[in-house]
Amino acid sequence: MNVEDQIWDYIDGVCSDTQKQEIETKIANDISFRKVYEELKAIHTLMDATDLDEPSMSFTRNVMEQVNLEIAPISLKTKVDNRIIYSIAAFFILSMLSILIYALANTSFSTSDFKMPSINVKVDLDIDASTKRIGLQIFFFVDIILGLVYLDKFLRKKMQVKSGL
Amino acid sequence: MQQTDIALITEVLNGNTSVYADLVKRHQRFVFTLAIRFAKNREDAEEIAQDCFVKAYRALGTFKQNAKFSTWLYTITYTTAMTFLRKKRLSMQSIDEEESLVQLQNHISDYDADAFDKKSAHIYLNQAIDMLSPDDASIITLFYKGEQSLEEIALVLNMESKTIKVKLHRARLRLKEKIQYLLKDEVKDLIR
Repeated sequence: MNVEDQIWDYIDGVCSDTQKQEIETKIANDISFRKVYEELKAIHTLMDATDLDEPSMSFTRNVMEQVNLEIAPISLKTKVDNRIIYSIAAFFILSMLSILIYALANTSFSTSDFKMPSINVKVDLDIDASTKRIGLQIFFFVDIILGLVYLDKFLRKKMQVKSGL
Repeated sequence: MQQTDIALITEVLNGNTSVYADLVKRHQRFVFTLAIRFAKNREDAEEIAQDCFVKAYRALGTFKQNAKFSTWLYTITYTTAMTFLRKKRLSMQSIDEEESLVQLQNHISDYDADAFDKKSAHIYLNQAIDMLSPDDASIITLFYKGEQSLEEIALVLNMESKTIKVKLHRARLRLKEKIQYLLKDEVKDLIR
């Protein structure tokens, strides 16, 4: 790193404490080093003190006139609660671990009588035809209600966007 | 109390679009200054700056609110200004130095050292910045006036932050050379 790079790092405050001490010593003892430092510091101070350029008085008004012709922006970002994602992940990880542990616990590792683990769940449901029909009707009814609620929300959102224009 | 950029953006996205004027007022000076570094004249710079704010408005919904709005806006400014330069078929190299120096020397010939004050120092500084390439001028402006870190400037200019650091050092050295030439090695006088 050359002298000027070192001094810029010192002026910008991005050098380490050791480098900072070294540079301060050089500034105090080395005349040519101090001369370069003073020149660079002068540029730095001047740049810091410079004013920004001012656009015309009508700038904001001109921008807003153009902006008013545009479609109002809406947030495209879907806010997802991370806790929901973590809960779903935890559910699946736990499920897989449980199955793995169950499988390992029920596996015989001797080669002679090796058997794949099996799950014996007896499902003995006695549902007559009329109950099945009522069940299906309830299922479709709930679906229709959920569909209508969703449609209502969707239309309300659309109305809000339109009124915002 | 002044609302934050994010609060203003949220209001705009919720339908209160007139609040966008506050965001424009807050950032217009810097966007205009950055635009002038490319355009080299006020009329074109104003056109670029207006275009930037309209583009930013259109894309406001895509702005990730965990970043600084200014960094995002300056990225738009930089790309808009670059497109403007390409359209105008201007070279990305620094403007013809010889011609500029002749013009500046003419200015200096009328220059009375005793009457030198900070205001004229800033005029000469701006002239020296104008002599730099648009990239050098932008980096210096973003660093000193845009309150942007090296990492943020790297995002704006789509470069590595190490590259930006080197470019910033070189740009400042070139600026120093220009000022020294203009002011006959009396750089220190600038800050008196």
